[in-house]
Amino acid sequence: MNLPRILELLQEVLPVARLEVQTMPIDEHSITLPPDNLHAAVRALLERSHVYHLSTITGQDVDGQIELLYHFWEGGGLTLRTSLPREQTSVETITDLIPGASFYEREIAEMLQVTFVGHPNLQRLLLPDDWTGGPPLRYEFTLPDDREEGE
Amino acid sequence: MSQPWLRRVVRWARRRSPWVLHYNSGGCNGCDIEILDLLTPRYDVERLGILKEASPRHADILLCTGPVTRQSRDRLRRIYEQMPAPKWVIAIGSCACSGGVFAGGYNVEGGVDQLLPVDVYVPGCPCRPEAMIDGILTLLEQVQ
Amino acid sequence: MSNRMTIPIGPQHPLLKEPLSFMITVEGERVVDSTLRLGYVHRGIERLCQTKTYVQNLHLFERVCGICSHVHTTTYCQGVEALLGLEVPPRGLHLRTLLCELERVHSHLLWLGVLGENIGFQTIFMYAWRDREIALDIMEELSGGRVTHSCNVIGGVRIDVGDAQFSSIVSQLNDLEQRVEKLLDVIQHERTLRVRTQGIGYLSPEKIRNYCVVGPVARASGVDVDLRRDCKYAAYGWLHVNVALAHEGDVWARTMVRAREAIESLRLCRQLLVGLPEGPTQVRAPRRVPPGEVVSRAEAPRGELLYYIRSDGSDKPARVKIRTPTLTSLITVHDQLEGVETADVSVVLSGIDLCIACADR
Repeated sequence: MNLPRILELLQEVLPVARLEVQTMPIDEHSITLPPDNLHAAVRALLERSHVYHLSTITGQDVDGQIELLYHFWEGGGLTLRTSLPREQTSVETITDLIPGASFYEREIAEMLQVTFVGHPNLQRLLLPDDWTGGPPLRYEFTLPDDREEGE
Repeated sequence: MSQPWLRRVVRWARRRSPWVLHYNSGGCNGCDIEILDLLTPRYDVERLGILKEASPRHADILLCTGPVTRQSRDRLRRIYEQMPAPKWVIAIGSCACSGGVFAGGYNVEGGVDQLLPVDVYVPGCPCRPEAMIDGILTLLEQVQ
Repeated sequence: MSNRMTIPIGPQHPLLKEPLSFMITVEGERVVDSTLRLGYVHRGIERLCQTKTYVQNLHLFERVCGICSHVHTTTYCQGVEALLGLEVPPRGLHLRTLLCELERVHSHLLWLGVLGENIGFQTIFMYAWRDREIALDIMEELSGGRVTHSCNVIGGVRIDVGDAQFSSIVSQLNDLEQRVEKLLDVIQHERTLRVRTQGIGYLSPEKIRNYCVVGPVARASGVDVDLRRDCKYAAYGWLHVNVALAHEGDVWARTMVRAREAIESLRLCRQLLVGLPEGPTQVRAPRRVPPGEVVSRAEAPRGELLYYIRSDGSDKPARVKIRTPTLTSLITVHDQLEGVETADVSVVLSGIDLCIACADR
């Protein structure tokens, strides 16, 4: 994977002054973006580079924000990272560019209560139909055993 | 079925040829592939008269694996109700006995006995086919 | 009045070994629509693992799926070892890879048997599962367990191979290879299998790219990607992997890809055993993992398996995200089932090698 070329490409397309790049194991590079630029970045990757394979989208509740990581792979790993504030977790869907992201976005929507604007079918994927417990991966969610012990 | 000799014949047939139904209520699939292994040439339970059935309405014994997930709960109950009496339940694997490694999860009831009356518990993670055969035969001896 | 009918398949169904709900809408004999409901096997593992230590999580992640249990712990251990900066000794890597390949053989033979059973070819089911027992025997000889082995530890593997075991395993591998080649011969020349699987469930390379499908389903449509060759994790840096490719894109192509992969895996197993280096099999790992993130990938029998692990410096992981390969195949089922006859629904569902326990976690 040609990382300098990809950085150059993203710099052209996005209105940010400097891209924050980190290196992670194993053979992974992560680029932090604001949530509004995510769709344009993914479009640029698909249309103007060899990167097309989205491995998955990870969602996590960290440092008071909901962070989304889009893991791509093309000979090496490339992660696009973006953070959403807890009060307003909504981001544009990328299913119009990558239909395969549909299940990943549905899972994050139910596990972390994130709205993907424009997703064709944001129904429950894994949680049961009668689930009333709130998003399980958010920080405030407690497991049944923890609730008993913590009292 | 008032004649005692007819009752004896039915009891003999039931003991010699139990038909089983397998349902996975949310397990990892380890115990399930070992249940399917029972049909294959190495263990071959058909020589004991045990046949794996497709529909609950034809089955005598329910082999249940998996810690019961919330989504599976109603379906499991419905399958049990569709089975004609007399019927028995064998909980196969540590997950079906008590929840196994998944006990405490938010979507897991924790064992088949939270929902259905279990007759035989066969522990193991995953349960070996020999242990399953032992479990079924233990049940059949009790049935007598 | 519409002559459409909805047929439910699952959660309890003779076709399915695991609970999954398909609702298939048919018009006459043709399928016009289908919907999928997952979640029957969702155990909340990603949330549960945050309450257990890294070592306890080994036992949890091994039970995400019973069929591909070893590759789950391989990917997890790889990730944690990268965060800790540990280097697993070569002998440990070779043994880890040996079990990965044996698991691939057992998974593909299992799939072949299930395909045979679902299309009514019971003989293949019996033969494939009988031969699969040899692979399970080898794994039991190595680790003590047939299906879940608990071989991986953070820092290497806990097993070792002595001389007596070595010769016993090599002779069993030779026996298994002969049997699998015979099965491949039967599959290639048996007309009924071809007729039932050719032309069904076609996926074009475009669709594979758009849906980001991985594994044998992608390789059967001509998309040449195999993480064993491309990522060279574990001991694959020492091996040359011949990737099985096909171009027809239907269930027949997937059958051929998996059968050839099984034979290739047996060859790799022999190469790993013969070239087993001397030395220890594990290094000691500290309890606490320094803060950091890692993305670890491996090639499971069904495709690319990904673990994202974030550590906050304690002895429990802050976040573990698992992406299993079956999820990518499930997205394509709707497209594959369009226009298919009701009798071929079982062929389509068998062709993607369902592992719902993996998909639901």
